[in-house]
Amino acid sequence: MIKSPGAGITHRSMFLGLLFLALLLPWLPMGGFTNYVLRIITTAVLYMILALGLNIVPGFTGLLDLGYVGFYGIGAYTAGLLAIHYDLSFWIIIPLAALNGALWGILLGAPTLRLTGDYFAIVTFGFSELVVLVLRNELWLTRGPMGLPGISPPSLFGHNLVHDWEFFYLALFLLMIILLVVTRLENSRLGRAWFAIREDEIAAQCCGINLIRYKVMAFAISASIGGLGGAFYAKWFKFIHPDMFKFWESILVLCLIVFGGMGSISGTMLGALLLIPLSEILRMVLPQSLFNARYLIYGLVLVLMMRFRPMGLIPFERAQADKALRARRRLAAQEKEE
Amino acid sequence: MFGGQVQSRPALFVHFHEGIFVDRLLELSSLFLQQLVNGITLGGVYALIAVGYTMVYGVIQLINFAHGEIYMLGAFLAYTLVTVLGLPFFAAFFITIPVCACFGVILDFVAYRPLRKAHRLAALITAIGMSIFLQNLALMIWGSQIKSYPRDILPGLFFRPALSFGDVSLSWLQVFILTVTVVFMAFLHLIIHRTRVGTAMRAISQDKVSSALMGIGVNRVISFTFAIGSAMGGMAGVLVGLYYNAIFPTMGYIAGVKAFAAAVLGGIGSVPGAMLGGGVLGIAEVMGAGYISSEYRDGISYAVMIMVILFKPSGLVGRQIGEKA
Repeated sequence: MIKSPGAGITHRSMFLGLLFLALLLPWLPMGGFTNYVLRIITTAVLYMILALGLNIVPGFTGLLDLGYVGFYGIGAYTAGLLAIHYDLSFWIIIPLAALNGALWGILLGAPTLRLTGDYFAIVTFGFSELVVLVLRNELWLTRGPMGLPGISPPSLFGHNLVHDWEFFYLALFLLMIILLVVTRLENSRLGRAWFAIREDEIAAQCCGINLIRYKVMAFAISASIGGLGGAFYAKWFKFIHPDMFKFWESILVLCLIVFGGMGSISGTMLGALLLIPLSEILRMVLPQSLFNARYLIYGLVLVLMMRFRPMGLIPFERAQADKALRARRRLAAQEKEE
Repeated sequence: MFGGQVQSRPALFVHFHEGIFVDRLLELSSLFLQQLVNGITLGGVYALIAVGYTMVYGVIQLINFAHGEIYMLGAFLAYTLVTVLGLPFFAAFFITIPVCACFGVILDFVAYRPLRKAHRLAALITAIGMSIFLQNLALMIWGSQIKSYPRDILPGLFFRPALSFGDVSLSWLQVFILTVTVVFMAFLHLIIHRTRVGTAMRAISQDKVSSALMGIGVNRVISFTFAIGSAMGGMAGVLVGLYYNAIFPTMGYIAGVKAFAAAVLGGIGSVPGAMLGGGVLGIAEVMGAGYISSEYRDGISYAVMIMVILFKPSGLVGRQIGEKA
């Protein structure tokens, strides 16, 4: 990969600077708004986690996943039910929820990933709708439309988390872990295989990449991050309901990554950081009846981004690097001709 | 039928318990027949929507997610024409059809045409974006409450049974829906197989570039495809609005997915397939809701769709496309 000298350092220092700012956030003077702002930013961080997870499928591997919210819902209900019936600790629930997400990801992905992209998208959509139907109708398990109230808050060294800033730090901590995993994956053998599949499946197959295997791995990892996000959501919100996991949530997360830049990790996070607070501002500005119409904006974002800036706000670095490489080769070729 | 045979035995031999059994059987079989009739009606409507998906997919290999929204707009447009402008129902119905056709053409022109050469994912995401956009636009214009057509717009005749057979009845509205479906499907079949533009459509679905080289105006034909599909979709919207007596902004999303399922079931790209798929799905849904679980009514369509995509992606009568060759 081509990198201009020092690019890595700037990135790292920028990242550390942002992290420092984020850690300071709860202690900035914001008048009476601190908790409100913190809750919004925690939501944004949660969606960053979700978006980073979804990004693996359409961004890295080039497959459209419309059922991401299904795994989010599975994670949330796994966490909620484990907390209520078995009173497990948050730190045990989180990996279990992620595992359950991955399990369903494999179960769904293994048979369906041999389909072409369009059909795969439709199947994932059907899956997420089925998840909502099951959550709604299997009263013995999920209490259906009554929702699951009374989920215990996470605890740390015997101390129950209650304050908004504690949840903010928890979300930030989870985000750091996911970020570490995703950046490591991006530059691994696995990541390179995914990009190869995205660019050209047939060429990738010719290079010895087992398409199904790598696609299922992408799907399972993405699903497990979705499950983890769901578990955090359940423990943070302490109440979950089937309607929270409707199709629109998938679209919202997709919108975040399309807006920020599909495949680009920093873009994905920027997308969440910009669009989630926007939705909260709309909640304040719009009357209650029109609040749901905010998705109009998300729809518009999807259409306009695809039309005018398909690479998103922060284009995927590797694509830029490839472009630079091609340009350099072209120049070299021209020079040789001369 | 079976019930009838049992009943025709000499009364002398009919045991008391068996009498109850026969009554129950008759009741069950008439319930079954009624479900069948309702299922076929519903299937007809799904088929009308499904042709829009199937034709567009056949020509440009795009799942036009916004098609369900055209269907919803059709229902709302007719509603507005009837309630606000006070037009008679049939006038509204026949205005809605060409207007929906225009919506389809505009949709293609604004959203999909600029992306014709882009990555397929881009067009698919745009389609979803348009779907969400239109749905929420309708939500802003008409609100989220469920609306229904005024009952007096149709002659009372429509709600009376045209045929009744014991407890089983077929209302004139159902007859009307089925007639419209069959007539327009036949019309569509003729367009595709007997006209120049139909030939062009089939040519483009096989090879877009070569068709263009043969002098076919590819973009014009694609617009025509969108127009026909959307006209049928809008029509279906009005018919469903009448049949279920409920129109709401999210109706297009559910019906759209089911119609897509019908298109896949029949074999995407095939019009008779869409008809067959619609019928099978309509019956499966009504029967499933009646005999298995009404909570999972929508789930049945999704499950059917997933099963078909997994095990027979070419559908009942279609050609092989679902998998990569």
